[in-house]
Amino acid sequence: MASQDLATWLPSEGGTVSRSRAVPRSVERGLAGGVGFFVLWWAVAATMPSYLLPTPIAVLSAFLTELTTPATLTIGTIELPLTELTVVLAQSLMHYLPGLFIGVGLGAPLGLVLGYSTVLDEYVSPVVSLLRPIPPLAWMGLVIVWVGIGHAGAAVIVSIGAFWITFFAAYGGVEELPQEWVEVAESLGVEDDLTMLRKVVIPGSAPSIFTGIRTSIGRAWMIVVAAELFGAPGIGYRIIHTAQSLSMDLSMAYMLALGLVYLGSDVAFRGLREVIEP
Amino acid sequence: MTDAFIEYDDVSKRYETEEGVVRALDGIDFSIPRGGFVSVVGPSGGGKTTLLRLLAGLESPTTGMVRVDGHPVTGPSPDRGLVFQAATLYPWRTVAENVRFALEVGEMDPAEADRRVEDLLSMVGLDDRAGAKPTELSGGMQKRVGIARALAPDPEILLLDEPFSDLDVATRESLQADLLDLWNRLGKTVLMVTHTVGEAVRLSDAVVVVQGDPGRIDRVVDVDCHRPRDPETDSFKPYVSAIRGTIRSGGATATPNREDSYS
Repeated sequence: MASQDLATWLPSEGGTVSRSRAVPRSVERGLAGGVGFFVLWWAVAATMPSYLLPTPIAVLSAFLTELTTPATLTIGTIELPLTELTVVLAQSLMHYLPGLFIGVGLGAPLGLVLGYSTVLDEYVSPVVSLLRPIPPLAWMGLVIVWVGIGHAGAAVIVSIGAFWITFFAAYGGVEELPQEWVEVAESLGVEDDLTMLRKVVIPGSAPSIFTGIRTSIGRAWMIVVAAELFGAPGIGYRIIHTAQSLSMDLSMAYMLALGLVYLGSDVAFRGLREVIEP
Repeated sequence: MTDAFIEYDDVSKRYETEEGVVRALDGIDFSIPRGGFVSVVGPSGGGKTTLLRLLAGLESPTTGMVRVDGHPVTGPSPDRGLVFQAATLYPWRTVAENVRFALEVGEMDPAEADRRVEDLLSMVGLDDRAGAKPTELSGGMQKRVGIARALAPDPEILLLDEPFSDLDVATRESLQADLLDLWNRLGKTVLMVTHTVGEAVRLSDAVVVVQGDPGRIDRVVDVDCHRPRDPETDSFKPYVSAIRGTIRSGGATATPNREDSYS
């Protein structure tokens, strides 16, 4: 019954308890690790041609060039003046964001309801057990036939990945709720399922759901890149395309961009969560 | 015990498990008068908790009937407040919001609910911690909030399932005194399950010993001495030894890991 999320809530043996907070990390050590990484990279890169491994400086300069070189993003008849890097980033976001929202938007409520309702769960769980092990990318064939491999197709693949992660996070969150929470609520006058969901089940499993969404945010970027290997425009497509012409500095510049974007979305979500549940 | 407010009328409880039928309780027949304070003691797995859950309406008897004021218990009700051993406060709610839970569900007028929450928190001595989260409180304070929350819908009956067993001795004794005080002031009818015989004798009008397999009422000891009771006095000790003796002589057949396994 003691999941990680619950563990932060439950009091320890006796005495006063405070919510565990992340200990501030040592900035010096982090900096030292980073410098060490770049020195090592540089040393290795110096011994080989740049189409095998470019130096950090070459990658950084390619990154800055791509970030500043003007390019145009065309959406239907609209033309937006952006830069090389921001154009592909925007293209990726055009399937990343809808895919993420649809996956999370379906996964969280379905996971909650199936976790809560034993009867519904019995109907659905055979299908769930059958579909769950299928990796999102395995749906590609079906998706190409039905919607093609543009933004919509990639969005569908992303949504499948985000769906399962959020679904099981919500489902598990409900399953791990202490039975006493429900029983106390009943003894305090909760009689219908809707009130129980609203007052106990949803707030009680919120930490699990948040963890699921956060995992989805990261995993969805990985799925985006994989889906773009099949030809959807975006940052993953560019990583492969540039590597095929041995422009390894460009390819790695886009990898760097991807890392930064992932980091940014994770920080943004954690910030959002702090605002929602302080 | 005179007029019966709570009645267990020849109640038995069996569970169907994968290993077969487990008989938890059998032939339970006793009553509690309005305003009474009764404790249930006995070995683990003897059916104490099941006895309480039947009155709470969280389980239904296999045979027989549990009645409150003449009406059969068919499910949980805000008229029977419940306090568990574990801190079951909702961690996403503040202390005041936890106490307010039943009032929100019952759609009480918000201003009235505010006043009631304030009253309840001062009753348990926590008016200055209204805005705190449960995890910021000590174990004893969490228990107080749990009791205040159970009292919010003004139940006639308070059900306590080993409420103080995870507290240190000093905290437990001060909470026992406060519970007694609340009971005196509010006139609730209390059924408490405990594994501490001293606690049962200190607080209750009568102590029911439940043990055996299936659990039966082995003995009911009426405690006739003035409150507050001092465990060190000569009038107190005989009750404790009598109850302990009963448990020692009859508890050997009780098997653990049965109906209490949910907790």
